[in-house]
Amino acid sequence: MKKIFITGILFSVFSGILIAQEITFPELQGYRKIMNYPVYYPDNLWDHINGAADGYLALGFVDLHVVEYKKGKNIIKLEIYRHSDHIMSFGIYASERSPSYRFLNLGAQGYITGGVINFFTGNFYVKIRTHSNKSKVLQSAESLAVRVAAMLGGDTEMPSVLYQFPDEGRKPNEETYINESVLGHQFLNKAFKASYGAGNDNFDILLMKFNNPKEASAVAQKYLATADLEPLQSDNGKFVFTDGYNGTIFLAWNRDMVVIISGLAKDQSDIADKYTSAILE
Amino acid sequence: MGRITRRGFLKTGIAGAGMAALSPSVISSVAPARNEDIIYRTLGRTGLKVPVISFGVMRSDNPGLCKAAYDKGIKLFDTANSYQGGNNETMLGNLFQDYSRDSFILATKVKPASDRDGKPNDDTSPDSFLEMFSTSLKRLQMDYVDILYVHDISNPEMLDYKPIINAVQKLKKDGKIKYIGFTTHRNEARVIDAAADMDIWDVILTQYNYRLSSLNELNAAIKKAAGAGKGIVAMKTLAGGGFLDRERTKPMNTTAAIKWVLSNPDVHTTIPGMTSFDQLELNEKILTDITLTDKEKSDLVAAINEPGLFCSGCRQCIASCPYNLPVPDLMRAYMYAYGYMNPSMAKSLLGELGINSDPCSNCETCSVRCTNNFKVKEKIADISRLVSVPDEFLA
Repeated sequence: MKKIFITGILFSVFSGILIAQEITFPELQGYRKIMNYPVYYPDNLWDHINGAADGYLALGFVDLHVVEYKKGKNIIKLEIYRHSDHIMSFGIYASERSPSYRFLNLGAQGYITGGVINFFTGNFYVKIRTHSNKSKVLQSAESLAVRVAAMLGGDTEMPSVLYQFPDEGRKPNEETYINESVLGHQFLNKAFKASYGAGNDNFDILLMKFNNPKEASAVAQKYLATADLEPLQSDNGKFVFTDGYNGTIFLAWNRDMVVIISGLAKDQSDIADKYTSAILE
Repeated sequence: MGRITRRGFLKTGIAGAGMAALSPSVISSVAPARNEDIIYRTLGRTGLKVPVISFGVMRSDNPGLCKAAYDKGIKLFDTANSYQGGNNETMLGNLFQDYSRDSFILATKVKPASDRDGKPNDDTSPDSFLEMFSTSLKRLQMDYVDILYVHDISNPEMLDYKPIINAVQKLKKDGKIKYIGFTTHRNEARVIDAAADMDIWDVILTQYNYRLSSLNELNAAIKKAAGAGKGIVAMKTLAGGGFLDRERTKPMNTTAAIKWVLSNPDVHTTIPGMTSFDQLELNEKILTDITLTDKEKSDLVAAINEPGLFCSGCRQCIASCPYNLPVPDLMRAYMYAYGYMNPSMAKSLLGELGINSDPCSNCETCSVRCTNNFKVKEKIADISRLVSVPDEFLA
């Protein structure tokens, strides 16, 4: 009886959840599809990608669909990772990209390197790989990528928060999203990071957007409290302090945003001020 | 007080910084363990003296965390060609530029292509393997790595696959790797047992934790391999990422879990993944003390008796079911509904399994014996009712 009750509640509570979008693999001319992989879920993703699984799980991994396209000895492997939302799919995509790759206008963004084509669109992260270096096979892989991107659809823009990073000095295609333990601190979560180079100075800007100013202020003040600093007023402010693990930290917040800059020296507050002002004001 | 006027860091920032610097900062790295107190074990015939705690870097993109680990006495850093698309190796490569090469031990992994059963296939190419390793070396900015693992061997056939064996032996001969190892995540006992008889392998990285269902076989294989001079490194020591349940609602005593692993003298070091300084500081304590306290022992007993919702997939139950039901998959469906709170996913899985009613309704009593002590019949009866719930109620 109790189980029935629990199940009833469960179904009621989650009646608003959408049924997962079914994945239908497109055809690829001349290739036959080999679909002997199971669908991977959080509890068995390790079986497929081993230790890398933890990184996916930390970014809202939902499921993974895998298929191989085979023509003679040539194999093109397609993996479609579904994450909980667009920010999470960006997060896992960005964690694996390198600015040295050739970027493609595919989904929200993609790149190609060797026999690898990766892109993200909506809440999907797509990886296509072939060990062949034959141009025809590589062309087929690119063709497959285009079809999969069209099939999946979804949001084809970068996450909107990224547009709040100032352009000046920003290193292209190095933005990332950190879902847990920003700067190694368990109380700092969900930050976008961009890397900057200005002259000889290299530094990172972390941007955290909250649901409301109260949340932003609470997190900022928690960080300050760990350094024995207390703001004079609770609404907003700009602080510089030493984090024993991460060196000099510039911390500022306003309304629902918190900005953290690391990598600058204490006497470079002019640079920190310029960038935090550009973001917050 | 380190507050600076809202107008800018510039005017008062330096003063603020000065004051902040004068204030005792709580965010300070804990004094590192004294080197003489750190517990070292010898990694088999490699002769490498390794602290019992090493660093599974896979999820960490923070060089500050790795630096702090190094400063605390951790010396073996474990990465892979595939972690973070190679960015993990790049991060370590940049960090270790400033360190003497013989002051740390770097292990990485390259996975040869294989079929789903872990056997070599048409894509299993030594050229591709060597190219990936070459890329790893470039990212790491090193002339050599200490340990190269052939990544993810689950079938003894791959242990003896000559094209890959020859490739790693050549790398060793050329001085690009010091020691040859492999990692194993499935069929560990069988693979390790076979490797113990083969001279080529120096180091074995295996999953090992107190919750594995086939510990007796694995312990025997590890003992045999260690006796044959193989270095044994343990991974997945937390059996599920630090929580007793995959739903991450019941945190485990991670210190107890790692100490349990190290209570096996044949395990030479562990590579817990760390992403925060809090985790690092917890593990730092194990560097100098691996004795299980009474509290840790009782936490382990409680954890072992905590079935949670995660089915370990040992499949020992299947033979004991007169209908050969796919019990592990049904337990997974149950976990989706109650653990992940995703009844749609659960129903979808039930559909894949061909479940259209309670498959246990013909049995008065259940003959299935679950190693996790799951009440299998009860759970199946509960979850199978999902198939009659219209999709629109789940949508």
